[in-house]
Amino acid sequence: MSKPEAAAGPGVQRHEVLGLRSPLTPRQTAARARRFGSFYYADMWIRRMRGYQGTVLMTAVGTPLVYLLGMGTGLAVLIDGNSNAGFPGADGSTVSYLMFLGPALVATAALMVSSEENTYTVMGGFKWHRTYYGPNASPLSSGQIALGHVLGLTVRILLTTGIYYLFLVLFGAVAQPATGWLMIFTALLAGLAFGMPLMAFSATLKEDKGQFALVQRFIVMPLFLFSGTFFPLESLPLAVRWIGWISPLWHSTELGRVLSYGHPEPAAMTAVHVVYLLVLTFGGLLLARRNFTRRLDG
Amino acid sequence: MSIENRTAPTVLVPQDRFLGSLYGRNIRAVIARGLKATWGTNWSIMVSGFVEPVLYLVAMGIGLGALVGAVTGPGGQEMEYANFIAPALLAVSAMNGAVYDSTMNVFFKLNYARLYEGMLSTPLGPLDVAMGEIFLALLRGALYATGFTAVMGAMGLITSPWALLMIPAAVVIAFGFASFGMAVTSYMKTFQQMDWIQMIMLPMFLLSATFYPLSVYPEAVQSVIQALPLWHGVELLRQISVGIFSWGTAGHLLYFVVMIVLGLTLTTNRLRVLFLK
Repeated sequence: MSKPEAAAGPGVQRHEVLGLRSPLTPRQTAARARRFGSFYYADMWIRRMRGYQGTVLMTAVGTPLVYLLGMGTGLAVLIDGNSNAGFPGADGSTVSYLMFLGPALVATAALMVSSEENTYTVMGGFKWHRTYYGPNASPLSSGQIALGHVLGLTVRILLTTGIYYLFLVLFGAVAQPATGWLMIFTALLAGLAFGMPLMAFSATLKEDKGQFALVQRFIVMPLFLFSGTFFPLESLPLAVRWIGWISPLWHSTELGRVLSYGHPEPAAMTAVHVVYLLVLTFGGLLLARRNFTRRLDG
Repeated sequence: MSIENRTAPTVLVPQDRFLGSLYGRNIRAVIARGLKATWGTNWSIMVSGFVEPVLYLVAMGIGLGALVGAVTGPGGQEMEYANFIAPALLAVSAMNGAVYDSTMNVFFKLNYARLYEGMLSTPLGPLDVAMGEIFLALLRGALYATGFTAVMGAMGLITSPWALLMIPAAVVIAFGFASFGMAVTSYMKTFQQMDWIQMIMLPMFLLSATFYPLSVYPEAVQSVIQALPLWHGVELLRQISVGIFSWGTAGHLLYFVVMIVLGLTLTTNRLRVLFLK
């Protein structure tokens, strides 16, 4: 047995009793946790996701395939055959229904993942699985836990939208691949812009009395159907068109269309889409952090 | 006659009756419990359940209808797109409701609430439990089908008095899915496995000639779709909605009768294996 090296510090000596070597003292570990806490929590979140990786992969691969086959090719036969239908593309040209639909499907996928992970997962963290309380008893702050959840969510959404985008390319639904791939990120914005306020709401719930079922039925479903997903928003009467205007899904889908096939749109409108999505995302995130802190530290 | 035989109440000797130990002739006890539980806790979710197909009808019928134009319906006549998808959406909602009630709901009661274990330790048999649960699901389905048909009427989508028959037909479709769903659920062990059920329903929903006629597919794909139960449901309701019938209508009905008989046999058998070893 060699003698402990003096240069290694007191931490090494302490752990040598157990036959373990740690480069860090408990104080140093805590300092690191304070600095990188959100990444620590995101790391845990992603590891937990492996528990249901089969489901994650199945929805990420199966859903695009079914929607692209069913709507993008099946329904497209009817719509492209109708002379009244035509979707304006770049420089006065028209594009096929499949190209029109593609960006909407990617953004929808991001929204669905986000609505799943910001309802029961958040509620479970406080109430059922109590995932937040362990980290909160460590040097991690409640703000870091909230941010860690968002980072984990971001990874899962990017995985889903990335796979979806690959499917679009395989189906020939992207006219401009040079800018089209950016829709992976505009779709992510849709997921976060919708998900952050929802996360803030879920963090305040003390009991599940079916609120999530009602959110699904009265918010997620209408947003999905009335956001110009399957048809241009203009074909709806004004009485329901406003649903699209406030919907993160519509703003993100329009961005995706500009990127994917050069959907004609004034630059100011494009800026409005981006600003609206960013405001919802960061406003929601601030609110969610506040609610997490109140619940965990209060 | 021995003394034991004279004093024992006849109802407690199930072997002498039709279906013996499987059936305790008390389905109403299961139904009464279900109704009481529903109205006590989640009636608002229950009642608002019919909103979903209505939203689909409004969005797709108006928005997508503008793109698609007229389509060919049963009997080869042209029809408006909203008229075309409305019966299909009713069939889908019958399927979704029945499958939800007979899978997620039953899975929870089977594995977490342990409700059936309690029921089967009373004179109730597995057939009572299966029939009672399915009846509740069908009651809910009938409620939604009535609501949806009323909305169709309000939107001016009903062109034939036969359309009223869509309500009982939707219940038959729901019966087919519910009786099978419960049998399938009895094999499930984890919540994650339930997601696979979703992954079977989504393609059925999108591909079963719901949003466009079957003729857009190549022949080989057509015959695969025609083997699926939802396609038969969609076609059945579509024919009823315009009042144009053929031998095919009887064929679709027969499909569901067979499905119901098979499903009920399987479900009862599974409950017996699980609980009355």
